[in-house]
Amino acid sequence: MLRLEGVTYRYAGASRPSLHDVSVAFDDGEVVGLVGASEAGKTTLCLVASGLAPRTVGGTLGGRVLLDGEDAGPLAMHQLAGRIGIAFANPATQLTGVAGTVYEEVAFGPMNLGLPRGEIIDRTDAALAGLGIGTLAARDPARLSGGQQQLVSIAGLLALRPKHLVLDEPTAQLDPAGTRLVADALARLAADGASIIVAEQKTDLLASICNRVVAIDAGRIAMDGEAAEVLADPRLTELGVAPPATVRLHRAARAAQLPAGALDRLVNASARASAEPSAPSSAPSSAPSK
Amino acid sequence: MLALGTTVLAIGLGGVLGPALLALVAVAVPALAAGILPRLLRTALLLSLPIAISVLVVNLFFFPAGQEVLFQVGPIRATAEGLGFAIETLARIGAISGAITLFYLTTPPADLVVDLERRGVAPRIAFVANASVQTVPAMVERAAAITAAQRARGLDTEGSIWRRARGIVPLAGPVLLGSIAEIEERTMALEARGFTRPGRRTLLWEPRDSRRQALARWALVLAVPLTFLARGLGLLDWLA
Amino acid sequence: MDGARWLRIAVGVGAGLLVGIALLAFGQEWVLALAGGAIVADVVYALLARMQTGDWGPLRFAAGLVAFAIVGYVGIIGFGDFGGEADVDPNTFINAKAANTWALILTIAMVVGAVVYFGLELLQTGRLDSLARQFTTRTYLLMAVGIAINIILGQTVAAALKIPIYLDSIGTILVGVLCGPVAGAVTGGLANVLWSYVIPPPFQYQPAAAFAITAVAIGVISGLAGRAGFLRPRPDRPSGELIVGGLVTVALVGGMALAAIIGYQTVFGTDVSLLPNEGVDWYFVVLGWLALALVALAVVGLFALLLIRRDLTAAYVVVAGVFTGVIAALISAPIAAGVFGGVTASGTDFLVAAFRQAGLDVQAATTGQGLISDPIDKVTTFFTVYIILQAMANRFKARFPQGERVVALEEGAPA
Repeated sequence: MLRLEGVTYRYAGASRPSLHDVSVAFDDGEVVGLVGASEAGKTTLCLVASGLAPRTVGGTLGGRVLLDGEDAGPLAMHQLAGRIGIAFANPATQLTGVAGTVYEEVAFGPMNLGLPRGEIIDRTDAALAGLGIGTLAARDPARLSGGQQQLVSIAGLLALRPKHLVLDEPTAQLDPAGTRLVADALARLAADGASIIVAEQKTDLLASICNRVVAIDAGRIAMDGEAAEVLADPRLTELGVAPPATVRLHRAARAAQLPAGALDRLVNASARASAEPSAPSSAPSSAPSK
Repeated sequence: MLALGTTVLAIGLGGVLGPALLALVAVAVPALAAGILPRLLRTALLLSLPIAISVLVVNLFFFPAGQEVLFQVGPIRATAEGLGFAIETLARIGAISGAITLFYLTTPPADLVVDLERRGVAPRIAFVANASVQTVPAMVERAAAITAAQRARGLDTEGSIWRRARGIVPLAGPVLLGSIAEIEERTMALEARGFTRPGRRTLLWEPRDSRRQALARWALVLAVPLTFLARGLGLLDWLA
Repeated sequence: MDGARWLRIAVGVGAGLLVGIALLAFGQEWVLALAGGAIVADVVYALLARMQTGDWGPLRFAAGLVAFAIVGYVGIIGFGDFGGEADVDPNTFINAKAANTWALILTIAMVVGAVVYFGLELLQTGRLDSLARQFTTRTYLLMAVGIAINIILGQTVAAALKIPIYLDSIGTILVGVLCGPVAGAVTGGLANVLWSYVIPPPFQYQPAAAFAITAVAIGVISGLAGRAGFLRPRPDRPSGELIVGGLVTVALVGGMALAAIIGYQTVFGTDVSLLPNEGVDWYFVVLGWLALALVALAVVGLFALLLIRRDLTAAYVVVAGVFTGVIAALISAPIAAGVFGGVTASGTDFLVAAFRQAGLDVQAATTGQGLISDPIDKVTTFFTVYIILQAMANRFKARFPQGERVVALEEGAPA
């Protein structure tokens, strides 16, 4: 359980705080999406939750961050690293730069923690398997695609066995193939019961994996509730967030006064079509023939 | 292998003495044993060629105390003393160069850094060493990519040296500043992986070491001060 | 006034009086005695003020400095063999023997000073905080970038461009200024060692490791300069300050030019001319042109800073560069002479060769070449580092250990 209580955070040298009195809790096993306009505070929230703010990036933190009921304040960054993992958008800068193979890259974290060699090997193998990248183990991380590099980074975090995984726009710099790679991996992790906090602009991705969605506006929590509800809430556009495609389609269908079930049949057919790449879809105008 | 490398380094230093024909022997024999003598010779020669040429030219023609003139090219005189000094220096450089090349050929850099870390070099310094070695080709690649992009945008990269010099400035900026700007994100990624934990870290593997290598190492480490001593006492004058 | 303040004033004045009287007793002018006493009184007062608030750092630094000065003084007076009149080369005014002795004494004194400083800190606090503070994660990453820059630029200049400068210290000085003296020192030393032994060809440069100690010295000096705020931008200064700065800059640049001219005259025995004279090979002239162009560029840039942006730091850059350059030259000359016979397969070899032809021995030749190349090289390097720092965002610089010292004061909190 990761909880922020009354957190106010101001970057070093900034005139105004980036987070105002934010209180939010992340339970174990929950997959929480974080939405908001750019500069609304998503990244800041991720940094505070993971402990990088204020330890690594400076700044002043008001309020408390509680990890399983314990105040995380006195903990040092290397102590938090094993309990909360954080990944960012740029796949290349998250690589350590000193690993010749993906295996060493993923083992970097456990090596730093000084764990015994046998345990490091176990964890690395498990992390690679959990993300399905065992085949990449001997490759040079610098030569992988963006999506693969992101998976390697996340595997490196998983090797630390954190309770919570914080991902700040992990697919922002990836092409569609990479995005799909990461999205599938996240879905698999979610299905395995991981606790994930994902900040994203791509609400479609959030719609498919999140239980809960939190919306941030100007450093404050604007909405916090079940994923389906929040993502369908009309206020989302005011906050600068594009709702997922399904939501937009439903609104458009209602506006066009299509019969209720029609859109669902359309969406299902489209999903089936995209799952069968060999079948060039007949025109999706399988309009309801009533 | 690593032991060989480090010991050969010591020889290299010891080779500062006069004509280091002795040191040459110590380099050639291990190279033979490792089966890389031809490659060693080729690489070492290639590397020391620029220095060798410079040394030869400078000392042959510009040796101030030279009296015995060997031949003359225009106003420039080649002297025998110059030649002697040049040969001396060349021998020394040859030994050092051979030693360094032997080291480099037999030791993958990763091995060296890992072994150093195992022996007690701070893990973060080892990290810096590793990262630097990787950053050099990475930066060059980045520069190449930027050059290609700039060329596509019409920047002239061929041509006179002046144009090329001008081309370096818009290149240096992005490469340098880009590398520096990345530092912020890299810092966060490293610290999120426990980089700041004080103390040693576990190493996944170690380079092989053996009794013989350890012995050879110690022998060579002792040899260095002994040679200096001997030289000081004039015992090695017959080598001059 | 409280007791603490009284104590400070009393001790300060006492120390000042002591020094002043001592100077008089040694036969110095009363003006000098007065000035010396006043300075000492000031310094002691400031030190005590810091100590009384629990900050022992400046005192330890002063102790290290004093140790440095004492060892230096003892070395010079007691043990230094500076040769005599006979060792001064009449053409270049270089006394190579003296230069080498200076280098040795300086290095030893530096080591002793550092030992005293860190020893005191260890004894007082049981830790080496001033050392640890310099080495954050950012430091290590910047070191990696700095080392790479050193090697890439240095190798390009040494192997491809045969010009008599090195440009292999940009990384060292950048790290030194942003992170601290020890960080800079480690950067320089490690860079040279890696350059020789670990980096594969074509970037390998075998002579580099021998000069590691020079790189260490450069790192230390740049760290101290950064600490003292030398590279802090000082824009929009009143004309008075700018004129003083301009004069200092002109004097130092003129000094470097003078060294080059004297060198030219030594080598060719003729006066300086931009056209080939008889007996002067054309490639020397071309080299001269190139070197001139580089210096001109740097000078133009510096004066642009001074005049257009009214940035006084330009003068500081020149001072730091010349100082570092001279020290670097003094330390590298005996190494170049003793280990490589003055030849390092770089553009400076021509200069050394020229000096040799003019009749100097190896030591004097490398010293002469160093005193010409190094100040120019270091001024250019410091200038480049300053430009790089200007291009970095304030809030990004501030996160480095000494980053606060590189941010202009008037701006207050970085944006």
